[in-house]
Amino acid sequence: MKYWEDFKVGESTDLGSHSMTEAEILAFARKYDPQPFHTDPEAARRSIFGGLIASGWHTCAVMMRLSVEANRREEAAATGSPGLDSCRWLKPVRPGDTLTGRTEVLETWPSKSKPIGFVRRRVEMVNQQGEAVVAIVGITMYRRRPTGGAAA
Amino acid sequence: MKYFEDVAVGDIMRFGRYEVTKEEIVEYARQFDPQPFHLDEEAGRQSMFGGLIASGWHTGAMFIRMVVEHMTPVHATAGAMGFDDLKWVKPVRPGDVLTVESEVKEKVEGRRPDRGTVKIESRIENQRGEVVMSLVSLVIYLRR
Repeated sequence: MKYWEDFKVGESTDLGSHSMTEAEILAFARKYDPQPFHTDPEAARRSIFGGLIASGWHTCAVMMRLSVEANRREEAAATGSPGLDSCRWLKPVRPGDTLTGRTEVLETWPSKSKPIGFVRRRVEMVNQQGEAVVAIVGITMYRRRPTGGAAA
Repeated sequence: MKYFEDVAVGDIMRFGRYEVTKEEIVEYARQFDPQPFHLDEEAGRQSMFGGLIASGWHTGAMFIRMVVEHMTPVHATAGAMGFDDLKWVKPVRPGDVLTVESEVKEKVEGRRPDRGTVKIESRIENQRGEVVMSLVSLVIYLRR
């Protein structure tokens, strides 16, 4: 199990990759972000984006999925998040793009009242050309190592 | 249609009504945020949240749905650059009914003559008037 104590400032983790299909871009947008440049390939061609692009909230959802899977691989004791400092959608995400995530620990501090600690991290996803499409700085909570447990 | 010139710092908009269902919480979580407290009522009860709760990113998705339904049709926006200072303040649970209150905080001219950026603080509230999530969106507005 990876507890709060095990996160070190500067350490980075690969989150793996996900390829965005047109079908999933359309399905997400029709449910949550039905703007024509997300839901209608023809209207999108005529828009300032020149083609269908994914909702930024969809891109973030994919980043969350990759983060949850990485936590599972590391057996990290994650217990949610109080929020984010910032999120920037830097480039459009288009059907066929393969997004690869990477995260770096910026800061760690313990909770004063609960047996958890906080990790501030930057998470970035790049497309197959190596261009960053989204970057966030967010905070994740992890359980503390149970007292008495020896360091790994 | 409201263009960049037409929005003023201090403007307040209230809009939206989103009924949160257990089925949708679980469906979103299976696809994007498969943590036990988003997937399973019993696991939620045993967690620090005391019951099944929506993924915070799902609450964000519900927020943008309300924005697209109520604001986008009457505001000349062209997407957003992102957001700052997002806080997941309280859990969102099955049966909650969410609404949005948005306030214009700042207008940024920028370099492009055909558009500007507007910083809009939004508070998503439940049926008890409790803020469950807040954020400051950086929305791109077209000029007249």
